[in-house]
Amino acid sequence: MATTKTHDLKTWDTLHNNGSFPLKKLYITELEGDGILPKKIDRYNDAVIEIQRLIKETYDANHGFRAYGSAWSLNHIAHHKDRMHYNGFMNIHIPIQSENLHNDTSFNAENLFLFQCGTTIKRISEVLSSHGKSLKTTGASNGQTIAGCISTGVHGSAFQVGSVQDYVVGLHLITGPNVDDSVYIEPKSKAALNDTFAKSISKQIIRDDAMFYAALVSLGSFGFIHGVVIEAEPRFLLNRYVRKIDKNIALQLADTLDFKNSTFKIAAETTPDGFGKTPYHYKVFVNQYSNEAEYVVELMYKHDYRNDYKDPFPIIKQSLYMDLIHLFTKMAENWPKSIPWLIKRLEKSILPKVDEDLTGTLPEIFWDAPYQGPAFACSVGIDHKDASKVLKLLCDLTTKEGPIPGIFAMRFVKQTKATLGFTKFPITCMLEIDGVQWNKTKKIMSFEKYCTRIIEVLQENNIDFTQHWGKGSHWKFKDLVNYMYGEDAVNTWKSQRKKLLSADMLHFFANDFLYETKLVEDDIIIEPTNPQTDDLIT
Amino acid sequence: MKNPIKLFTLITTCLLLSSCYSVRLRSVNGTYQPDPLLSRNDYYRGMEVVELDTVIKIDIVSKDFTYLIKETDACKSGKLHTVEFKNTFGGSLLSVFSFGKKRKLKVKYVCMKPTN
Repeated sequence: MATTKTHDLKTWDTLHNNGSFPLKKLYITELEGDGILPKKIDRYNDAVIEIQRLIKETYDANHGFRAYGSAWSLNHIAHHKDRMHYNGFMNIHIPIQSENLHNDTSFNAENLFLFQCGTTIKRISEVLSSHGKSLKTTGASNGQTIAGCISTGVHGSAFQVGSVQDYVVGLHLITGPNVDDSVYIEPKSKAALNDTFAKSISKQIIRDDAMFYAALVSLGSFGFIHGVVIEAEPRFLLNRYVRKIDKNIALQLADTLDFKNSTFKIAAETTPDGFGKTPYHYKVFVNQYSNEAEYVVELMYKHDYRNDYKDPFPIIKQSLYMDLIHLFTKMAENWPKSIPWLIKRLEKSILPKVDEDLTGTLPEIFWDAPYQGPAFACSVGIDHKDASKVLKLLCDLTTKEGPIPGIFAMRFVKQTKATLGFTKFPITCMLEIDGVQWNKTKKIMSFEKYCTRIIEVLQENNIDFTQHWGKGSHWKFKDLVNYMYGEDAVNTWKSQRKKLLSADMLHFFANDFLYETKLVEDDIIIEPTNPQTDDLIT
Repeated sequence: MKNPIKLFTLITTCLLLSSCYSVRLRSVNGTYQPDPLLSRNDYYRGMEVVELDTVIKIDIVSKDFTYLIKETDACKSGKLHTVEFKNTFGGSLLSVFSFGKKRKLKVKYVCMKPTN
């Protein structure tokens, strides 16, 4: 039997110290050993019983509940003031067999894997590598859990691929305390698994596009995400190049993503007729405090896997020492005018080294990111055609009303089908500013004020934008979510959630983040909700 | 240098600084055992760290010493992910003056997270 340790705590914090936040109880569940339950599927289902027990215990105490994994989100999206559940020890994986496939599926069984919620991206990559497979994309590192990634829309810069949630083909959710509150969801238009397999891990099966794409980026509120079925692909290599190029060319590439006709080329990455190849990954680093005529850009080109490439780790492992960042933060708070100077000094440590090329697999290149002290990040999603325009707006904001101790970067992501996925544009430019946390002083505005100004500046300039769910923003900003996604998408998301969860569970799986963003209303109309509707095939 | 006290202080400081260092070994593969309570604020935040700070005694005939890593709550897998060894000036002196029979053991280690 899976077991849970309960900790009575007063506060909880994220990995990057974006809290702290109040808490009453923290649950930590560990699975039964394989000596007692040798079959993975039995241990997986045994965990469902334990989670449902915890849900009942929490509900009976009139408390709310939220699961989390690695606590990597840089805001309070993963937090609940009552009870939280750490699922990082729940990391079973089950390769899908051809006999598990749906009759109408277009998927190849050897590419499908079921991962339990707490499996980290790093572990998933190791499992897939042992099968000769790879994830299609990840975030910029590997410590997040799969459930955390998809709940908040974690992305890289693979602009022909998408975000992590975009290769999910099925979800297993625990939606309440009762035995039947265990649902497998996949899109009807792209079914993957047959009923026999789905019933082996759940009690109900929903094949419905609207439900699936709403639940895909659920912000943790469609129930307890217990299992995620993903589609992998054959393992591949990435050739990574870092170059300093004319900023006008870097921005033109951001606005057009036309690498074929650009004057900038990587000599080794051209077509036989001399045109530049389109990279797998493009990232632009921008020090808004520098007047240099060049930007640092990072490009990665996808190639077939081979095993005779040079060890990439001597380059990958370099990172800035935390204590230095802490010192610089203190300097920035007291002498804000020193921020541009400090960032200039840190540039060589923050930015990848120019002309240091390497080759590696996806998990090698996006390897462990060490903790480097309290950090902040704000990230807005815009149509990539607006990239240079919005960059100028936010750089002007940051330099004129700041300075703020962070630097900008741009990454590019293919459109998601998730109802509330922030990568909503055909190709979204994620314009992000990452840096070290600071305290408001007379000389430097607060983080909250900076976040508010970002929204105000974008709205004043009629920019259509979204914001990364797992990063900093003024989430209480009036009508923010409707502005970002439109009322239709927001109402679809809400209605699917109401369709899936009972009235009690709508509140149970909601948290302050959802109330602040008005994705859950305080006065939810209690109406009979039962997953057994026409949309569902059970 | 005219002042011998200053010279002595300088040499001692250099010795102290250079003799106090740490070396960290970290596996490229595997996931560290997490610390869900996030109780640290250093390099090891989020990791379940085991710290050893003790003196080991070795008999004259033994050349080396082996410390066994066992399965415990803080090391569920019994397999190592990260090891940090710290050498201090005091530790070096202890070893010198005890002719190697006493050795300062100041180690942090993090185990691999169990897989399922």
